[in-house]
Amino acid sequence: MSLLGPSIGFGLVTASILALAAVGFTIQFGVTNVLNLAYGEVMGAAGFIALLVNKAGVSIWICLVIGAMFGAASSYALNRAILVPYIRRGTRLFGMVIVTVAVGLVIENTILAIGGPTFFSYKLPHQSTFHVGSLIFTGFQVAIIGLAVVCMIVVHGVLRYTKLGIAMRATSAENSLARSCGIRTERIIDIAWLISGTMCGLAGVTLFINTATFTSATANEFLVVIVAAAVLGGVGHAYGAMLGALVLGLTTEISAAYIDPAYKNVTAFVILVIVLLVRPQGILAEIATQRELAT
Amino acid sequence: MSTGTQFYISTLCVYAGVDILAAWGLNLQFGTAGLLSFCYILFQAAGAYTAAVLSLGPQSGNGGFQHYIVGLNLPFPLPLLAAGVVGAAISIPIGLITLRRLRSDYQAIALLVVSIIATSVATNQAHLFNGAAGLALIPPPLANSLNLSAVNYQWFFAAFTFAVCGVVYVVYRRLTRAPLGRAMRAVRDNEHAAASLGKNVAGLRLLAFAIGGAMAGLSGGLLVEFIGAWAPSAWLYPETFVLLAVIIIGGTGNDLGAIVGVLLVPIAFAEATRYIPAIGRAGLVDALQWIAIGLLFLLFLWFRPQGIFPERKRKYLADGRPASLLISFRRRLGRSAADSELNREPAA
Repeated sequence: MSLLGPSIGFGLVTASILALAAVGFTIQFGVTNVLNLAYGEVMGAAGFIALLVNKAGVSIWICLVIGAMFGAASSYALNRAILVPYIRRGTRLFGMVIVTVAVGLVIENTILAIGGPTFFSYKLPHQSTFHVGSLIFTGFQVAIIGLAVVCMIVVHGVLRYTKLGIAMRATSAENSLARSCGIRTERIIDIAWLISGTMCGLAGVTLFINTATFTSATANEFLVVIVAAAVLGGVGHAYGAMLGALVLGLTTEISAAYIDPAYKNVTAFVILVIVLLVRPQGILAEIATQRELAT
Repeated sequence: MSTGTQFYISTLCVYAGVDILAAWGLNLQFGTAGLLSFCYILFQAAGAYTAAVLSLGPQSGNGGFQHYIVGLNLPFPLPLLAAGVVGAAISIPIGLITLRRLRSDYQAIALLVVSIIATSVATNQAHLFNGAAGLALIPPPLANSLNLSAVNYQWFFAAFTFAVCGVVYVVYRRLTRAPLGRAMRAVRDNEHAAASLGKNVAGLRLLAFAIGGAMAGLSGGLLVEFIGAWAPSAWLYPETFVLLAVIIIGGTGNDLGAIVGVLLVPIAFAEATRYIPAIGRAGLVDALQWIAIGLLFLLFLWFRPQGIFPERKRKYLADGRPASLLISFRRRLGRSAADSELNREPAA
C-alpha cells in the first residue's frame, strides 16, 4: 500500500504527458496517414528551445507556451517543407516512414552536436506539495495533470462539436470523399499538423519538467511508449490514445514500483504485444485498412 | 605493407564481408519481400550473442567475472551455424506477432519498438547478458590449431568471411530467383493480387523474415568471433538504419547494389570520418556522421529512390525458367532470336 499510492500518483503524471503526446501523434496520423517517426525528436527540439529560453531567466510557464508554439511551427514546417514535397514526388508509405526517420536522425543529432552529450535541467521555482488522499503531488505535477485534462477536453470539444472537428474526422475517414464534399482537405491537414505540433511541444516540455534531468535522446526514448499508447488505442483514434495513455501510464509506473524501474518500458511492450495479438486494430478502432497518403 | 596497415585493411575486409552478409539479409526482407524490418539489427545481435556463449567456456572460467548462459565451448563451425539458426528462430515469434495482421506501417513501428525494448532488456539483464558490460574474451575460432601469426590470422579470417559470403550468396541467389523469390516479390508488389492467386501472404513474409534473420544471425556470429567481444550497446536500433541506408543507396532489391552500398556507407563513409581531426567536443563527429546519414537518406529518396543500381527487371523464358544474361543481352542488342521466348515476369 505504501508503494501503491505514490506509484499511482506518478502513473497519473506519466499518463498525462503520454496523453498529450499520443493524442497529438494520433490526430496527425489519422488525418494525413503519414507515420511520423520524427515525432519524438520534434518533442525533444521543443523541450530544448524551452531550455534555451529558460536559461535566459524566463519563467518555465512562458517556456512551456514557447515550446508549444515551436512544436506547432516546426511540425507545420516539417509537413510543408519536407513531407508534402516527397509525397508529391511519389514517395509511398515505406519511403515516407524512412523520410521521417531521416529527419528525426538529423534533428536529434543536431541537438546532440550543439548541446553535447551531457545532462540538462530546467531552472524551476520551488514548489509546495499537495496531498490528495494518500497521493502526494508537486505543484508541477498537478499543473501537468491539469494541462492534460484541459487539452483532452479541448480536443474532445473540437472534434465533436465544431465544423473543423467534423471536417477533420471526415478527412481522416476518407480523404477524397471529404474533398469532393467541399472540405478543403489541404487546410484541414495543415491544421492537424498545427494541433499535433502544439501537443507535441507541450508534451516535450512537460516531459522534461517531469524527468528533472534529460539528454538529447530522452524524448526519442519516450516515443516507444507514445507509439504503444497510440497503437493500444488504435492509431488515428484520439479517444483510444487517451485510454491507451492512461493504461500505459499507470501500468508502467506501478510495475516500476513493484518489479524493477528498469523494466518500465518492457511492461509497455508486453501490453503492446498482447494487444497486437488479440486486437491488432487497437482497443477502440475498427480494422485499419491501407489507405492512400493524403497531401 | 606495414603490419599496421595489414591489420587495418584485413579488419576492414572482415567488416565489409559481415556488412555485405547482413545487407543481403535485409535486402531479402526489405527489397524482395517488402518488409520494413526496423528490428533487423536485433537478429544480428542475437546471432552474435549465440556464437559468443557457445564459443566461451562455462561462466566460472576466467575467474567468473562475467555472467552468461550455456558456455559450451563448442568447436569452431558450430557456434556460427547456431548463430544463423538462432537468428531465424528469434525472427519467427517476432514475425508471428507483427507480420500476420498488421498493415505495413504498423509493422514497421511494432518492429522498431521490439528493437528498442530488446536493447533495454539486454542491458538490464545482468545474469543472462552480463548487462551493459557485455561479454569479452570470446576465443577466436581455430586460432590454436592453425598456428598462424596475428596478421596472417587476420587475413585468414577475412578470406573465411568472404568464403562464407560466397556460399551464402549462391544459396540466396537461387532462392530469390526461384519461384519462391518471385512469389515474395509478388506479395511485395501487390499483396491482394498475390493472395488471390493462392499465395500464402503471411507465410511468405514470415519465411523471408526468417531467412533474412538467419543471414543476420550468421553475420553477427562472424563479427563476434572476429572481435572477441559482445555488448548490447553495439547493436542499438539506429544501426538498422545504417544497413537500411546501404540498401537504399545501393539499390533496393539489387544484390550488387548492396555490396556497393556497403563499400560506400559503413566502409568508405565511416572510415573517412575517422580521419577528420577531433574537432569540438567529444562525440561531435559521431553526431555529424548521423546527420550525414540522415541527409543521405533524404537526398537519395529525392533524387534516386531506386538507388545506384536499381532492381533488375527479371526476365523469364516461356516455361518460367530465369532467362540467362546472354539471352537478355542479345535481346538488348536487337538480335532477338530468343525474343519470342522471353516473357516479362510471369505472375508467380
